[in-house]
Amino acid sequence: MKNVYKPITAEIVDVITETPTIKTFVVRPRETIAFKAGEFMEVTVPGVGEAPFTPSSSPSVKDTIDFTIMKVGKVTEAIHDMEKGALVGVRGPFGKGYPLDAWKGKEILIVGGGVGGAPLRALFLALVERLGDFKKILYCYGARTPQDIVYKKQIMEEWPRIDPKKVEIRLTVDEGDETWKGNVGVVTTVVKDLGLNLNNSVAIVCGPPIMMKFATFRLVEIGYPDNAIYLSMEKNMSCGIGKCGHCMLGEYMVCKDGPVLTYDLIKDKPAIWD
Amino acid sequence: METHYVTEADFVSLLSRLEKQGDLYVATHEDDKVAIKPFSEVGDFTYPGVRAFQPLKPLFFSMLEEVAEYPTEEEALRESKPFAIIGAASCDLRAIQALDRVFLEGDFKDPFYEERRRKGLIVSFDCTDPLDTCFCVLMGLNPYPEGGFDLNLTKVEGGYIVEVGSDKGKKVVDENKSLFKPATENHLSQRQAIRSKVTETVEKQSKEFRPAAAWQEILARAFDDSAWARNVETCVECAACLFICPTCQCFLLYDERAGDRYKRLKMWDACAYRNFAKVAGGANPRPHLVERFKHRYYHKLDYFPKNYGFEACTGCGRCIVACPGKIDMRKVLKEVCKS
Ligand SMILES: Cc1cc2nc3c(=O)[nH]c(=O)nc-3n(C[C@H](O)[C@H](O)[C@H](O)COP(=O)(O)OP(=O)(O)OC[C@H]3O[C@@H](n4cnc5c(N)ncnc54)[C@H](O)[C@@H]3O)c2cc1C
Ligand code: SF4
Ligand code: FES
Repeated sequence: MKNVYKPITAEIVDVITETPTIKTFVVRPRETIAFKAGEFMEVTVPGVGEAPFTPSSSPSVKDTIDFTIMKVGKVTEAIHDMEKGALVGVRGPFGKGYPLDAWKGKEILIVGGGVGGAPLRALFLALVERLGDFKKILYCYGARTPQDIVYKKQIMEEWPRIDPKKVEIRLTVDEGDETWKGNVGVVTTVVKDLGLNLNNSVAIVCGPPIMMKFATFRLVEIGYPDNAIYLSMEKNMSCGIGKCGHCMLGEYMVCKDGPVLTYDLIKDKPAIWD
Repeated sequence: METHYVTEADFVSLLSRLEKQGDLYVATHEDDKVAIKPFSEVGDFTYPGVRAFQPLKPLFFSMLEEVAEYPTEEEALRESKPFAIIGAASCDLRAIQALDRVFLEGDFKDPFYEERRRKGLIVSFDCTDPLDTCFCVLMGLNPYPEGGFDLNLTKVEGGYIVEVGSDKGKKVVDENKSLFKPATENHLSQRQAIRSKVTETVEKQSKEFRPAAAWQEILARAFDDSAWARNVETCVECAACLFICPTCQCFLLYDERAGDRYKRLKMWDACAYRNFAKVAGGANPRPHLVERFKHRYYHKLDYFPKNYGFEACTGCGRCIVACPGKIDMRKVLKEVCKS
């Protein structure tokens, strides 16, 4: 009998400072864990507790997993204090990942903000690894300031070079600085003139609640059907396996039925953005 | 299904034998209530007649238990001792079915619940003395068990009819053959009479609360009804209704240091608490009490049926008795139905 509440020990093998409040932790679990982009894991800081995070590394990397974590409270502060060599625990993966197979032949729009870039990187890398399956990828990402952009080198230098005909990256910041030459404004300001065929496109959104809300409204306004809008819902979670009741959104248990849910399923549920 | 007859005295002998095989809990009368107690304290059995004041869920889903220790190599999960509970009402059985769906279905099972379910023998009974707060019939149940038991008892002249409901129950009968006699036509007609009479009583007291349409249909229209806010006024946020509810299964995992190791505990939690669904950064889908109050009704009568096909309210009425604010679920629903 397997105990799903027990974490598997994992060693932190690298810590990358992404922004003043966000770090990426590369961990090596003692057992190999396979996950799909969009599935999440519960990460344990020993003695402090657990919190849900979505791996941000490519699912095809097998021996290590990256978690990109913003410092916001108890568990996340404790992990920010941890260094290379320290031990954490992981449980999972849980939930349903992005349905990549169902998107074959489609044009993919990704809209992200802040630390929401974490699951989107795992998704982006998974998409790029089978780029032949998709017509186009347009990745729009917004951060508060240029300093707050996660995966700066990848997103600004490497990704735009992957296949400029097929893969486009658009960045924006709420507030620029003297070095910033790009767009200034919230992420919805770059979600326009998409050049995508909306009848054959899906949109994936992940970011802070307020950004998710306005991005979704924008996508609906542009003409995306509700069932083509994939939202990563951030709800309070404890068990991660559909038992503890914390993550309910209407009848959905976000940990088990999500965390990615299409807008048509949840738009009439109470308080989806809170 | 297979039925037998056992005299009152022989049934107590059966209990003494069951006690040797594990922990034994029996329903017993205490003041004006029925309580579940260890047989070792009670030493006898009197027919309960109605559900116990406490739900059976703590026997399967502990209020607080250690669920993991880390970092350690994979430890074998603790085996639990066999146990039997004598005195589950029809509503109690429905509640266990609801917990089964949550804890045992899906990609992951709760191994602790599973182990307790495997080790537990459940003996139920036909209600003979419903309380005035009983409304099982409004939740699609009869006040007598129709499934989900290992053995079921019906009080008849001089003893009990014992109906076998599972292999586990059959084993008990087979191993104690000498104590059982055949149930006669007369016994079975006594059972029929009791069942009709008690059902009629519960029907009668529930009549004024019977909804005009299915609960789900009513709730689909009632989300913005002002009756919710009116009815929550006397709520003191103690969550007694949730802890006493036989189907409420919310919990929280939390970690503690234990010497050079850490342990993870699983503790009952309640959606009535303000921070239950709050996320870091402060967003909270149900910041107001009335939203949390409604969530409970919607979970039991709309969300749960959508997920599992039946209501997660059993009509046991424990929440009505437990509420210091005198909130009566039947009345709340009646008001909500009106509009
Ligand atoms: C599926 C999913 C994936 C996520 N992926 C990432 C990610 O990749 N990177 C990232 O930085 N953040 C992610 N988050 C958010 C992250 O889980 C929270 O920031 C984290 O739980 C905060 O914990 P804390 O103890 O530091 O915060 P505190 O404010 O100290 O605690 C918040 C309290 O709420 C509880 N809680 C339970 N679930 C959540 C939740 N989802 N959000 C906030 N609080 C919660 C905590 O247990 C705690 O009691 C994700 C959330 C979900 C649901
Ligand atoms: S609600 Fe029905 S089954 Fe439960 S104790 Fe009352 S009469 Fe018996
Ligand atoms: S996190 Fe426990 S049910 Fe979803």
